[in-house]
Amino acid sequence: MGPQSFRRYFVLLLLGIVISSMTDAQTIETPASEVPYSRKGADTCLACHDDQLTLAIFRTKHAVPSDSRSPFGSGQLQCEACHGPGGAHSPRVRRGQERPPVVDFGSHEETEVSVQNDNCLNCHNADVGFGWHGGSHDDDEVACADCHVSHAPRDAVMHTSTQPDVCFNCHQLQRSETLKAFSHPFFEGKMDCSGCHSPHGATADAQLVRQTTNDTCFQCHAEKRGPYIWEHAPAAEDCTLCHSPHGSNHPGMLTSRAPLLCQSCHSQSGHPSIAYDADGLATGMPSQYLLGQSCMNCHEQVHGSNHPSGSKLMR
Amino acid sequence: MADFNTLTNRTGNIYVTIAAILLVSPALSAEVDTSDWVCEFCPFEPGHRADYEVGATNVSDDSAYFGDATGYDEAGTYLNVDGDGSYQNDAYQMRWKVEDLALDSRFAEITGGRQGTYDYHVSYRELPRRVFDTTQTIFNVASADTLAVPSGWVTAPLTSGFTELGSSLMPRNIESDRKTAALGGRYMFSDHFRISADFRRQKRDGTDVFAGSYFSQSSLLPRSFKYETDEIDVGIRYANDYGFVTLAYYASLFDNSNLELRWDNPFTSSPGAEQAALAQPPDNSFHQVSLSGSYRFAPARTVVAFSGAVGTIEQDELLLPYTTNSNIVTTPLPQAQLDGKVDTTSYAFTVTARPYRKTRVKFAYRYDERDNQTSQLLWNRVITDTFNSGEVEANVPYSFERSKLSISGHYDLFKTVRIFGGYDRTTMDRDFQEVAEQTEDSGWGGVRWRPSALIEVSARGGASERDIDSYDEAFASSLGQNPFMRKYNLAYRYRQFGELTFSASMTERPVSFTFNAFYADDDYRQSQLGLLEGEDLRLAADLSWSLSDKASVYLNTGYESIESLQTGSEQFSTPDWRATNADAFITGGVGFHIDQIADKFDLQVDYLRSEGTSEINVDSASGGLSRFPDLESALDSLRVRLIYRLSDRLELALRLRYESFEAEDWGLEGVGPATIPVVLTLGANPYDYDVFAVGLGFRYMIGGADSTDDSGPD
Repeated sequence: MGPQSFRRYFVLLLLGIVISSMTDAQTIETPASEVPYSRKGADTCLACHDDQLTLAIFRTKHAVPSDSRSPFGSGQLQCEACHGPGGAHSPRVRRGQERPPVVDFGSHEETEVSVQNDNCLNCHNADVGFGWHGGSHDDDEVACADCHVSHAPRDAVMHTSTQPDVCFNCHQLQRSETLKAFSHPFFEGKMDCSGCHSPHGATADAQLVRQTTNDTCFQCHAEKRGPYIWEHAPAAEDCTLCHSPHGSNHPGMLTSRAPLLCQSCHSQSGHPSIAYDADGLATGMPSQYLLGQSCMNCHEQVHGSNHPSGSKLMR
Repeated sequence: MADFNTLTNRTGNIYVTIAAILLVSPALSAEVDTSDWVCEFCPFEPGHRADYEVGATNVSDDSAYFGDATGYDEAGTYLNVDGDGSYQNDAYQMRWKVEDLALDSRFAEITGGRQGTYDYHVSYRELPRRVFDTTQTIFNVASADTLAVPSGWVTAPLTSGFTELGSSLMPRNIESDRKTAALGGRYMFSDHFRISADFRRQKRDGTDVFAGSYFSQSSLLPRSFKYETDEIDVGIRYANDYGFVTLAYYASLFDNSNLELRWDNPFTSSPGAEQAALAQPPDNSFHQVSLSGSYRFAPARTVVAFSGAVGTIEQDELLLPYTTNSNIVTTPLPQAQLDGKVDTTSYAFTVTARPYRKTRVKFAYRYDERDNQTSQLLWNRVITDTFNSGEVEANVPYSFERSKLSISGHYDLFKTVRIFGGYDRTTMDRDFQEVAEQTEDSGWGGVRWRPSALIEVSARGGASERDIDSYDEAFASSLGQNPFMRKYNLAYRYRQFGELTFSASMTERPVSFTFNAFYADDDYRQSQLGLLEGEDLRLAADLSWSLSDKASVYLNTGYESIESLQTGSEQFSTPDWRATNADAFITGGVGFHIDQIADKFDLQVDYLRSEGTSEINVDSASGGLSRFPDLESALDSLRVRLIYRLSDRLELALRLRYESFEAEDWGLEGVGPATIPVVLTLGANPYDYDVFAVGLGFRYMIGGADSTDDSGPD
């Protein structure tokens, strides 16, 4: 091959590389163009992969032959719809030779997360909603398989009782918060993270399921919505100004105890601005400003009052 | 015969041409002939399979805290019924699940549908809320909204004078139940169009604590309440390969059975004030229409997403009179109902692009508005049904507008190193508050090192400055506030924050370790009164080790410390007292599971210990330094599950649960009903219990090819 021919081939090759880099960003970046598919599809794979975990997929929605969209639907690529072409992976390999891999799932696997997720999003893009692309999980390269298990009839993240444990694999700081003395019932398995958060992404802060923090809280606490005649400004603005929804050492999941929580904003002359100390405990001179419900011994309507005479949130 | 060079050239041409074509057209390889892919060995499992578990659990002691959300609030034996199953026939699938069917925490769900056409779900859940089982009250439930003192009750100005208290107290637990029924589904009437509808009804009823005050005295009342909330979510979505758009409607309708709470005053009262009333949360409704979607501009590697929503909150409950005291004269109410209305508007727009393979940039803008349209009216102020203050005041319909602009991006410096950063600007405008406009600028950056798929270290740090146009001290003073006070959500704040994460795993020995740390420091340096400083430190670590494909062990721990400093003024001047709050929390968990011990047994053990401590110190010019007793809580939880396989389909399950919780809370300790001179309390005790729960059950599996389906933890 002379220099002239080499130059011709090189230009052709270079042209191919340039053009291919401009194609769809979602093109699976496995060497799909160089690797063939298997001869018999799933039957090829099952010759080696016949363990319980692999076979469990046949009890899931991914393995429904009469659904033309599913990997095992008519004309679909079966195992290779997700794991990519297995034509190089399945034949015998020589002693000492490493078996060519297929697409494997999980953020600790060799396959790039973007490749893994592209495989899932080829079918599930509409399901994840509009917030995924550019959202926190996408940006942090969280793999779909970090949360979801396709090869199991029961995907733990899809069930209230087991979902939090999946989230806590990464969100360990939040797990600690939910174990505090006063929290939502995550530890008991009666509430899940997706009740408030949208893990696939959302435009609201903290990927909340509703537009604002308060709208999200009002799903279960609609009695606080109002509007009231007499509103408490921080309650109308943002519940988290006073509450820690993941958990707190204090009753009501308050960020700190009354009266000090209230005194961080209220300074009116008289009882709101007095420094209440330990002399007011039950063992001393029991004080209504410290004990029982503290400020809320009188100012019960702290979220707002609909009583015509309720301006002090007592009625 | 062609010469070798010609042949080589021709062959070379062919190979290179094929390579070029394949590189340019990766999609060509997707056209695969699958006609021979008959799936002969695919173990499809049509038909029905199910696991049923029936048994009993004995609980050793009463405990509201242990029974909160679980339903095991009283000592005794409980029936356990659990199960889950599925049915599949062609493209039709149905799954069902029941949990704790015989408990107050019961749950049942059915999901199903025909893949590619429709799906549905029906569920029912009860959530018991058990707050106190040590509370006592003198009040009888005279009607749904009225509490009465017992006959023969002798009023007094102070609780120490309640001569009939001891004989009048009756146990009354503070507890309620939330019952939620949900129904919904989706129908895909083409490849592109889908409609969805969900309905949810929540009912909450029971008894909670509500304070009824009489100017300088108060009673903590065991209030009966009954709430109902209906939610509706409907939407229609269009999707294609590049994006989708959804038009949706959401409604939430809240109904309260009681308009008011009336109660007899147990204290000596002025004439006409023997009974008082306070308003209950009013019925309200929220309606919202939203449009959202996204589009991928594939050649430009760009995704554009948007969402917009407009809504209205309304409340038009009949108003109570100013007072129940017929001796107090007032002007008529300005109107019989509030006619309260709040308009909400939200919209967001994001653009995420990858101009180069190593780079991603994101631009986002978000706007939220709460526009309170409720009229400002003038109201008399009657002080707790005791006397007319003579004051007339106007209600304040709070509104705000919040907008947030974000720019962020990352660049892969090398294959293993990524740098990232961003900037946010949040603007908040408020009506009727001390600060009309505030702006917060945040900047952050970080680096991630990922030398392999098994190791990752990420560090992130930044700072934000929240500035205000001005703090209206004159307005604050008109509210009676000390002009030096700065409310912490309205005050200038400088925040620094940092985050570190580390994760590592080994495939040779499947061990994984992760560590997270977060720190934030808030400085309200322009405030003299109110919150001055805040600090938050959080640490967590996890270790998990798969000993084999049948055994694994884990260890996790977490720590959090939240500290703050605030000041106040007893003299209505500059600060003359300060208080520090220090919350600490530490938790640790360890556990293991071993499956198929001697081919017969599965064992799972989980232990958790968590401790919380809150220290409060107050140092004042008038009283000196005072340290409160620490508020403490300590939880020990041990859960053991042992499964014995009697046969391929029958298992015996033994579940042991031990839980110990102890709290020290000066707000409750030693506070009996008459401890506080001017407050009649319910006398709740701090939580302190040790509970053993032992459960035995049989689980039977029907259908399916094998019996190894695990329905999940207990």
